Amino acid sequence: MRFLGYSTGAIALGDFSRALTLLGAYDFQAIELSALRLAEVEPLLCALRNLDLDRYKYISFHAPSAFREDEEEHLVGLLSTLPDAWPIVLHPDAICRASRWTSLAPRLAIENMDRRKNTGRSVSELEQVFELLPEAKMCFDLGHARQVDPSMIGAYQLFKAYAGRIVQLHVSEVDTLNRHDVISRAAEMAFSQIRQFVPKSAAVILEGRVLERDIGREAEKVRFLLDGIAQSEEAVEGGR
Amino acid sequence: MEVHSVEDLAKQLGADWPFILRGRENSRIEFDRIKEACKALVMPDTSLVVFGSLARGEFTDGSDIDWTLLVDGITIPQHLTVARQISEALAKLESKPPGRTGTFGNMASSHSLIHCIGGEDDTNTNTTRRSLLLLEARPVGDDQAFNRVRNNILKRYLEEDLGLWRSSAVQKVPHFLLNDFARYWRTMAVDFADKQHDRFHEGFALRNIKLRLSRKLLYISGLLACFRCQLDFPNDQERIAFFNRVNSVEVASYLRNLLDKTPLDLTAETLTLYTDKVKAVGELFGAYEDFLGVLSDKSGRKHLEALTPDQLETDAAYANARAISHRFLEAVQSIFLNSDNRIGELTIRYGVF
Repeated sequence: MRFLGYSTGAIALGDFSRALTLLGAYDFQAIELSALRLAEVEPLLCALRNLDLDRYKYISFHAPSAFREDEEEHLVGLLSTLPDAWPIVLHPDAICRASRWTSLAPRLAIENMDRRKNTGRSVSELEQVFELLPEAKMCFDLGHARQVDPSMIGAYQLFKAYAGRIVQLHVSEVDTLNRHDVISRAAEMAFSQIRQFVPKSAAVILEGRVLERDIGREAEKVRFLLDGIAQSEEAVEGGR
Repeated sequence: MEVHSVEDLAKQLGADWPFILRGRENSRIEFDRIKEACKALVMPDTSLVVFGSLARGEFTDGSDIDWTLLVDGITIPQHLTVARQISEALAKLESKPPGRTGTFGNMASSHSLIHCIGGEDDTNTNTTRRSLLLLEARPVGDDQAFNRVRNNILKRYLEEDLGLWRSSAVQKVPHFLLNDFARYWRTMAVDFADKQHDRFHEGFALRNIKLRLSRKLLYISGLLACFRCQLDFPNDQERIAFFNRVNSVEVASYLRNLLDKTPLDLTAETLTLYTDKVKAVGELFGAYEDFLGVLSDKSGRKHLEALTPDQLETDAAYANARAISHRFLEAVQSIFLNSDNRIGELTIRYGVF
């Protein structure tokens, strides 16, 4: 069974401590520590040694989605202090100079983008990024792929082109305003059409903003959607 | 040698087809000019799409620019402003504007293209735009809206084709799609007569030659794309396994990749793969080369455009163009209406009745 869990940003935006406390009530094996704004990076790094992360078998770190060019080198330095085993999720449009990321490349998980961006959305656009960072891995955002092409043909082509790079999935509904939300019935139908192409080894990170009471139910929905296997009610409701 | 394009075929046959090659080069140049002229105009959730000879890679000096601003998203009044600006930008390039039917040179919404396939709401314009989006269209600049609409149209044709997914059906030819390509081909033929009626034979000769060659080739490439679903999977079990509903996205992607090729390339590749009629294939492309030669001759083209019905019987240029079209027809019939090859078998079985 694949590792599944949440992004801390989906549970409590900008408040990783609260997110970890809430998620501590469940049996999730994966977690993404989210620092979408540059100002969130250092406090999160400082807090790492005191966080209870031992329970997680897969941990990734979401780098800021935007920063200035004069901040890039400093950010790379900060991210290089993260444990080697943690993939670092990075938006391709945030990169100012790819050469600055070369040392981190084997740990980077480049994310496919939503439709408002003009890069990183399709195979050909991502190819340009992977040419600059050939060792980089990929974080496949199913919601973004569906927003870019609801037929899911674009998603299939991304899977076909980059299956070997994919270490992690982002799963959520992405609405027309690019907000990540809980999965709708339409998204369920779309995602189920490409589930056989999702690498079994990829961790699944839920990104939709979810109410506290729905944390377990949404996770179970996604697990069933991708694997067709339901967990026990106890696990869904938080058995720890 | 594997043949994936008309250039590969020319090499394999040792043929010299300068007008086909020039058409490709002209298209590249014109495409880049349009891209540069319109790069600041296209908005999010839209794609500027070109059709016709430019999209097919057969552009000549006399070709017009058939284009549309394809809208796939929230509709706003500014789309019309942008469409007008595109029209002005193309006029500054001194490109020949689209024909007068109104099918091109304006906006098109994805809604009717995806939802109105058949039935009363599927107007002639809608059928034309939809068919050409699949058979001969190319996005200029951002291709996201174009890909989205094209993929969703294709998925409708495939997913609603119940017979395609039945495990008991050994033959896998997408009937819904094939029937609409056939309908469009017949629509073009009927519209040819309608234009003749409306325009008092103005431009008859040139339209007639185009119908006999480039329009027919469009139908041929549509037929071949559908037949590839059967031909590319010679093993029955593998074919049935591939055309499984859980695999519908992969099937749609596969067919889309075929339709991404220009009609000439898809035809060259498929005929080389699935017939051993080297002579007929050479004749087909040789006739097409001569057709592009006729279109590339500015004065000859003008002459054909200006012919009146009473001149048709005796005009030497028209007689030459008709002779080219007859060579093309004979080559097509020798391949497609002959059961001595697999493409012929499929055409006889699915392409007529």
